[in-house]
Amino acid sequence: MSKPFTPKVVTANALVEGDVIYLTADDRWSRALHEAEVIEDEAHAQLRLLDAERQAHAVVGAYLAEVRPGPNGPEPAHFREAFRARGPSNYPHGKQTELSDV
Amino acid sequence: MYSYTDFDRAYVRERVAQFRAQVERRLDGSLSEEEFRPLRLMNGLYLQLHAYMLRVAIPYGTLSSRQMRQLAMIAERWDKGYGHFTTRQNIQFNWPTLRDVPDILEALADVGMHAIQTSGNTVRNVTADHFAGASADEVADPRPYAELLRQWSTDHPEFQFLPRKFKIGVTGAPNDRAVIRSHDIGLELRRDDAGALGFRVYVGGGLGRTPMVAQELAAFIPERDLLPYVEAILSVYNLLGRRDNKYKARLKIAVHEHGIATIRALVDEAFAERRAQFSGDDHDLLENIKAQFARPELARTDCAPYWKARRADPVFRAWADTNLAAHADPDHAIVTISLKPHGATPGDATADQMRVMADLAQRYGHDELRISHEQNVIVPHVHRADLPAVHDALKAAGLATANVGLVSDIIACPGMDYCSLATARSIPVAQQIATRFDALKLEHEIGSLKIKISGCINACGHHHVGHIGILGLDRAGVENYQITLGGDGTEDTVIGKRAGPGFSADEIVPAVERLVLSYLDLRDSPDETFLQAFRRLGEAPFKDALYPEQARGRRDAA
Amino acid sequence: MRHETPTAGPVAARVAALNARYRNHAAIAVLRRAISDPEVGRVALVSSFGAESVVLLHMISVIDRATPVLFIDTQMLFAETLAYQTEVAASLGLSDVRTIRARPEALAAHDPDRLLHKTDTDACCALRKTEPLERALAPFDAWITGRKRFQGQTRSRLDFFENEGDQRIKVNPLAHWRPDDVQEYMVNNRLPRHPLVARGYPSIGCAPCTSRVAPGEDPRAGRWRGQDKDECGIHFVDGKMVRGPLPPTPSATDRNEEHQMNVIVTDTGFAADDLSGAFQPADTPGATALDLGPEADVTALAGRLDGVEIIRIAFPAFSDGRGFTLARRLRMMGYGGRLRAAGHVIADQYAMARRTGFDEVEISADLARRQPWEQWQARADWRAHDYQARLRGAG
Repeated sequence: MSKPFTPKVVTANALVEGDVIYLTADDRWSRALHEAEVIEDEAHAQLRLLDAERQAHAVVGAYLAEVRPGPNGPEPAHFREAFRARGPSNYPHGKQTELSDV
Repeated sequence: MYSYTDFDRAYVRERVAQFRAQVERRLDGSLSEEEFRPLRLMNGLYLQLHAYMLRVAIPYGTLSSRQMRQLAMIAERWDKGYGHFTTRQNIQFNWPTLRDVPDILEALADVGMHAIQTSGNTVRNVTADHFAGASADEVADPRPYAELLRQWSTDHPEFQFLPRKFKIGVTGAPNDRAVIRSHDIGLELRRDDAGALGFRVYVGGGLGRTPMVAQELAAFIPERDLLPYVEAILSVYNLLGRRDNKYKARLKIAVHEHGIATIRALVDEAFAERRAQFSGDDHDLLENIKAQFARPELARTDCAPYWKARRADPVFRAWADTNLAAHADPDHAIVTISLKPHGATPGDATADQMRVMADLAQRYGHDELRISHEQNVIVPHVHRADLPAVHDALKAAGLATANVGLVSDIIACPGMDYCSLATARSIPVAQQIATRFDALKLEHEIGSLKIKISGCINACGHHHVGHIGILGLDRAGVENYQITLGGDGTEDTVIGKRAGPGFSADEIVPAVERLVLSYLDLRDSPDETFLQAFRRLGEAPFKDALYPEQARGRRDAA
Repeated sequence: MRHETPTAGPVAARVAALNARYRNHAAIAVLRRAISDPEVGRVALVSSFGAESVVLLHMISVIDRATPVLFIDTQMLFAETLAYQTEVAASLGLSDVRTIRARPEALAAHDPDRLLHKTDTDACCALRKTEPLERALAPFDAWITGRKRFQGQTRSRLDFFENEGDQRIKVNPLAHWRPDDVQEYMVNNRLPRHPLVARGYPSIGCAPCTSRVAPGEDPRAGRWRGQDKDECGIHFVDGKMVRGPLPPTPSATDRNEEHQMNVIVTDTGFAADDLSGAFQPADTPGATALDLGPEADVTALAGRLDGVEIIRIAFPAFSDGRGFTLARRLRMMGYGGRLRAAGHVIADQYAMARRTGFDEVEISADLARRQPWEQWQARADWRAHDYQARLRGAG
């Protein structure tokens, strides 16, 4: 068997705004990572990714991003995803200024 | 400056209408994302990490004040109030929405600008020496040829789906400020023995993961043959370039794999075929374009206010020493406005700053602005008597940083703060280096030094040709920065050599500091630059400064 | 947080239950889900009744023996495979095995001598496998395959579920299985072996294209040996691999039409293809309708263009622009006959095609549906705004 499956979220960019978005368990797209559905099972992850890819009218470039569980929901496992969730680090002018609870 | 003809205007409007329809067709499902992607890229629209990014061409880096003001308007109306000037003489807006882009393109068309072919596997915005038409060392102004190439490459039906992107750079001076030998085609204007103008043609340059210095394809191509010759090169590349692996698809790989002699034979064969297709109308157009680039009528007034300000104001003097370059007319200067205030994002300008620069160009600079590949803005023809006033206005707008060519005048790509291809951040590294050397107050003591930072192997930050190059990578989920030494992007293009193991985000700034301080110890006089010292001494003493542990180990063993 | 609340709504509960059930990715659980889950839809198992097919056939016989099984009889199979198919279907009690074959008129048109495989294996696969299967799959929302990650480099990233061109889900329950897993399952369940396995054929396809594999070789090395080919078309999304002179496969979105002709686009509109099947390879002596691939060397045609009435240049993908330069070169060589761009060319490229010298574009019926004439018409005024013509001058 290949290496063990690690928890994932389905993420993409919104087709019109380009914003980073996450698929929630109740089939919404949220701007906030902590609302994303955490997927522990590989087969389910791929089905959810298919669900996302079928929404080509609303989202672009869906993929599975690795996450770690945190006290307030999933947290990014990789620094790239951390920037996607927060916004640019050179000075705050992205998501970090729009999502007060991040 | 070139102003759009009716033909240009009609074309750009048509393209906006086409793109507006393409956006609608993407939204209604007629175009799949796979099909829409190359179409939006051909119109400069990327999807980055956080949002769409629109890259607007500033052909050969030349802008009027009216155009600059329009960029400011776009930044305020459809973006977050700023724009980012890039290493290829473009400006990028980082936060537009898909639906707004056709309107932005319309606003650009209003001032004779566009975003066409700033991306995609096609001929990109043609770049040129940012001092063109002003510098003292010029054979001829390269911009008319760049404009001719812009028109020729625009929507060229054969070359919209090349194996990979294609970059052309032109210089009119023997001192290459346009890094032409890192382009797919590099053109150097020169005269033959009879005094006729033509080009030395280089092909196959490029940075990226396989950096290569372009090789000479032809020693002299007469100016009248420019278009058929360039078209011949493109036609050979379109068929020969690899399409199986995007990392091996650039012209440089084809030149490397087939050899320059084979490429030359194929190009010569295609050139004979292509030349017969051109009836000479391109020459008439070229002459017409040349007339529009004639140097403005320069004022003849007394330079005394300049000398007086130099004596009276050390801040002005420091700025004049670093940010002015020699103009062909000794009473004038080329002003470089630094977009690198210590601690800020290299290349960013706010809408207000854009308007200040536009005003200065209009009032003191014959209405001309330039964007350099080093991410600064240039006012190319300023009378020396006006320099104190220009400096005052820049100071008030936070644009008077006196650091052009110095350690804090860093080229940095957007890196992982914006770019979806990046493997690490580059802007914060630039911010920290600039802040650190500003705090040390050593910048002017260190003198000429080019630091260039890329956030991934694609090398948009030109790290290979930095005297000190920094490449950000992802090593097992952690940012890691490799240093290259001894690169040079001038007419003697040299690819820098990797110094050794990389540094973490915490270690990279102290490592650069050790490196630069060791240069101060090693140089034989204050006149010897970092690059000269490196060439004289070789890499060993600099590597010792970067890796003191290893140097100590070697000393202990000896 | 929604997902952390154990008593949350029905979706969260469903997800939690699914997660628990599939935690160990057991192939049979994935298969059971594929067969029973309304999210997956109508599903069929596609089986070659080859060396390892019996594993999935056995699994569905346990879950639901009425599951449709599509057996592709290319009419080039080993006699042993046909016998084995009958035996396995009977012993497992499979109640809905459908044998799929190419249409007789397609065989008559494209491979009357059964020799197509000698000159063009891709076209043969398209004719005998891809096209019939695509037709047979039309009523289904998903299909099950026996593909595994260990089978060759091209499959090393295979997933359980794949999105096939937004048309269907492809289910690969055995994606994670190793060769040992297959053998163990067959031993544990006492399943009958394909008679050719013992004779050195670990991967079995059509008789002409299957050879034995030496010990230690990639088990699929015997398929299409000596050819630059790893997969038959049935594992490609429709449209990406079609190369031969075959008509395109019918689209799943239009199931009523038995056969769909390609569409020819000109400045005046869409038209039916008047020349279907007339094209011959460029080196055919005396041919008047030539097919050129994107890699063609047009200089080889110098002096041979007299009498040629039409040349068709293939565009394997719309992002591959070689055909534009080939067309332009042919025109510069003096070729004055018809010039056709064929394949994946999109409406937005119509003006480029016309300006480089093409007279017409041949597209699939599917693309013509998605990008109707109005979208091509928007670029039909291809002479307008032409910088290059202006620079070259009228002469």
